Amino acid sequence: MTEHPTSFPYLTCMLLSPVVGLTILLFLKEEWDFLIKAVSLVSAGLSLALAIFTFVAYDKTLGGLQFVEKYEWVKTFGITYFVGVEGLNAPLLLLTGIVIFTGVLTMWELKNRVKEYFIFMLALVTGVFGVFMTYDMFFFFLFYEIAVVPMYILILIWGSTRKEYAAMKLTLYLMAGSGLIIPGILLLYSTSGLFTFNMVLLHGVKFSPWIQKVAFVMMFFGFGVLAAVWPFHTWSPVGHVAAPTAVSMLHAGVLMKLGSFAILRVAMYLCPEGFVYWKQLMAFLATAGIVYGVFVGLAQTDLKYVIGYSSVSHMGIVCLGLATGTVDGLNGSLFQMFAHGIMTALFFSAVGYIYDRTHTRDIHELGGLSKIMPVASAFFITAALCGAGVPGMASFWAELLVFIAAVKVYPVQGLLAIAALVVGALFALRVVQTSFFNEPNPKFMHFEDVSPFLGLPRMILIGTLIFFGFFPQVMVSLIKTAVVPFIQGM
Amino acid sequence: MNVLLFGPELYFLGAALIFFSLTLKRKVQVKADYRIALALAAGGVAVSVLCLFQQGELFFKAYKVDLFSQIFKFALALGFFLVITISHNLAQIEERYHAEFYLFLTTTTIGMMMLVSAVELLTIYVALELSSYSLYILVPLRRGDGIDVEAGIKYLFIGAVSSGFMLFGLSYIFGATHSTYLTEIMPKMAQLVQSPIGVLGLLFSLAGFFFKLSVFPFHFWAPDVYQGAANQVTTFIATASKAAAVAVLLRLVALGSSYGYNFTQVLVMLSIISMTLGNLVAIVQKDFKRMLAYSSIAHAGVFLMGVLTIKEAGYIGAVYYALAYLVMNFTVFMVLSEVAKDGRDLKIVELAGLWKRSPILGLSLILGIFALAGVPPSIGFTGKLLIFTSAMNQGYFWLVLIGAVNGTISLYYYLRVVYAAFFMDPGDLPPVTVSFPTRLLNYALVAIIIGFGVFPDQIVRLAQAAVKTVL
Repeated sequence: MTEHPTSFPYLTCMLLSPVVGLTILLFLKEEWDFLIKAVSLVSAGLSLALAIFTFVAYDKTLGGLQFVEKYEWVKTFGITYFVGVEGLNAPLLLLTGIVIFTGVLTMWELKNRVKEYFIFMLALVTGVFGVFMTYDMFFFFLFYEIAVVPMYILILIWGSTRKEYAAMKLTLYLMAGSGLIIPGILLLYSTSGLFTFNMVLLHGVKFSPWIQKVAFVMMFFGFGVLAAVWPFHTWSPVGHVAAPTAVSMLHAGVLMKLGSFAILRVAMYLCPEGFVYWKQLMAFLATAGIVYGVFVGLAQTDLKYVIGYSSVSHMGIVCLGLATGTVDGLNGSLFQMFAHGIMTALFFSAVGYIYDRTHTRDIHELGGLSKIMPVASAFFITAALCGAGVPGMASFWAELLVFIAAVKVYPVQGLLAIAALVVGALFALRVVQTSFFNEPNPKFMHFEDVSPFLGLPRMILIGTLIFFGFFPQVMVSLIKTAVVPFIQGM
Repeated sequence: MNVLLFGPELYFLGAALIFFSLTLKRKVQVKADYRIALALAAGGVAVSVLCLFQQGELFFKAYKVDLFSQIFKFALALGFFLVITISHNLAQIEERYHAEFYLFLTTTTIGMMMLVSAVELLTIYVALELSSYSLYILVPLRRGDGIDVEAGIKYLFIGAVSSGFMLFGLSYIFGATHSTYLTEIMPKMAQLVQSPIGVLGLLFSLAGFFFKLSVFPFHFWAPDVYQGAANQVTTFIATASKAAAVAVLLRLVALGSSYGYNFTQVLVMLSIISMTLGNLVAIVQKDFKRMLAYSSIAHAGVFLMGVLTIKEAGYIGAVYYALAYLVMNFTVFMVLSEVAKDGRDLKIVELAGLWKRSPILGLSLILGIFALAGVPPSIGFTGKLLIFTSAMNQGYFWLVLIGAVNGTISLYYYLRVVYAAFFMDPGDLPPVTVSFPTRLLNYALVAIIIGFGVFPDQIVRLAQAAVKTVL
């Protein structure tokens, strides 16, 4: 992979922007909550601006790894600070920027322990940015853990519905995943003979098939826990339901993508033979996740559980795309990571607004909410349509690409997944119908609809979905610049 | 002889004499004594920094001054200073014994300083006993309701038993090699380690340090002593004492470097049992100090993992982690002794609502706990990862896997502390006021935990230079 150094440390700035914001917050008084939110918004906005810049300024004809910064960090152990952008991670950096920015806006009404909330949220987002941009396994793992652990506190303090149970379950599941990741990563590190954590260098090493198989399966399951790979998904619906709105947005929107991205970036990139050996299993688990998520989702009456299980099935699509190991499959998979991230953020953001007013998420109790809050309902309905794969939305293209590839490589699993998705569309419509177009619940008559300011973050998300729905080429052409060499290198 | 070679030891000897004269005073002046102690401790840190790059040999080559020993002397002086900073309020020790507290704390520090420099078996033993005997006195110094006596006796007995084992082992090594100097023993060990007498001798010799580090099977004292001793004494046992034990372990285990498959296998088993046992039992603890005691048993396993590689990388990891452990464990104990101002044993639930009662202590606690749990960005994470890396380099795949799984288990009980401090309702627990110097100390500790966790290079290089002289 060709590396193009940068003249200005854009990526480091993107990474440090939340850190600086967080440090300023530490010294602000709890009472100044407008200032606290403003600082968080500015630091999130700065990251978003830089993410958009790298997304747009990435030179597709040049390809390779751009905006590269590389410093030796700990020479004795072969640790380098090595960040860069390519087609694989540019969409995900953009996704993170959008979700954190809209996430801060969504939490504008927060009253309880505002300062701490934004401190932990910015810490988490630093970790997410870090994982997506780094090419050193040490930093990769460091940022990965930074992204995972604040979740415990965020859910515990600001969450709802069985939050203590959910927070502990989520943390232990994800940390158990880390318990598999560390030996996997270190196994590659020590058997490479290079004693370096630099992934690009390690990619050049031909590991013995045995090592690849062991390391791949450990990392697949380790990272797979975060990507909610069936049957290790059980923490995810529970966690999403318990988490506060913006954390659900970040978590379902971005954090789960860390898992699938890591499977691609570390496991598949470094252990191609391991991937070939295990890919049948991957495809099976992914399909199981898609089908299972759809059918369990059918039975739910809590809006957040509905979204939680739909996430399990959508992440299954991402994994199915990865498991094909073809250009189309990977394109679709990465596009789906982006589209699903934005879509779920919109879902949770819409539900968050409704729940804050009505204090219920029961679809029967909500009744005909669209007559009371037409705009708020429209946000949810748009997300639901997107989830059902309606053309004109970003996820339509993503899912299409994955299914084309999947049917070619795994006909049975591919067809099963498509069938499940049709059922899924049915159930999305059922949820929309019961909660928004039935008789309105008289209890909620007095609630106001979304104000333009609070509607802004949701509008940004919808705008993104539609933009990439109409211009998928913008995204696909960028992803392709990285996927094609990636497949060739495997 | 260059006086600086023996600088830190001489300085602390002088300090001990001053404290001794304070014990003779008829009138008790707690405040004045404390100021003197604080000044002397700060001086101790300065002197140990000044002597950091000394090199040489003393006392017929029984005593070696090199970067390795000086780093640990610095760590000991730092540990001593830190413990003194939280001793402004020795509620559980009778006022007329305060001077004795300082005196014995100083003598145990001297003992440990000599320990990390000693390269001759008898010197090691004598230095170890000097540090141990002082601690035997310090532990039951707490104003007692019986629990202190139990702790004191347990500590003494298990200490004595482990010393017995150690002497027995030393006699084997001496008998087989006809020397008590490590430099002369080292070349002969290559052959000796392959025979039972060598393995047993070496393992038994380590017993004294397994005891100090609370490695299984010499861990029984830890929970009772942690709980039974005054908070400040526990802090010293949990921080400085561990660093010294790691230092000597590194020196002695290096003897088994040449072959010693059986030898390292035993260490692997001890490491696994210590980690797993400590973590599992810690889960059910309700008393904060007891929980930390079991956590220290688990950490002993991690240290052992770095030690048993007997390679440069592992030794660097162990040195780094020893320094890191000193800082992070102290941070947690500092919070503990600030919250329990009257020196009582703190239940974990008594940390409830700490974020509201004292935000700064809440911040320190969460960072200290996360560092102990090995969560980044902290020195605890980096240290643990360096140790895991080196163990994997030596092919201990299963050991690393078990260590990593243990990390998950340990998170469960560490998170319960976070749960109490950040989530539980404080109820009628009073707010905790923090004095200005303590506030500064908090900021410094937080900066060290994060700073050296993200930028470990300087420490790693220092450690690398240091371990060259040991291996």
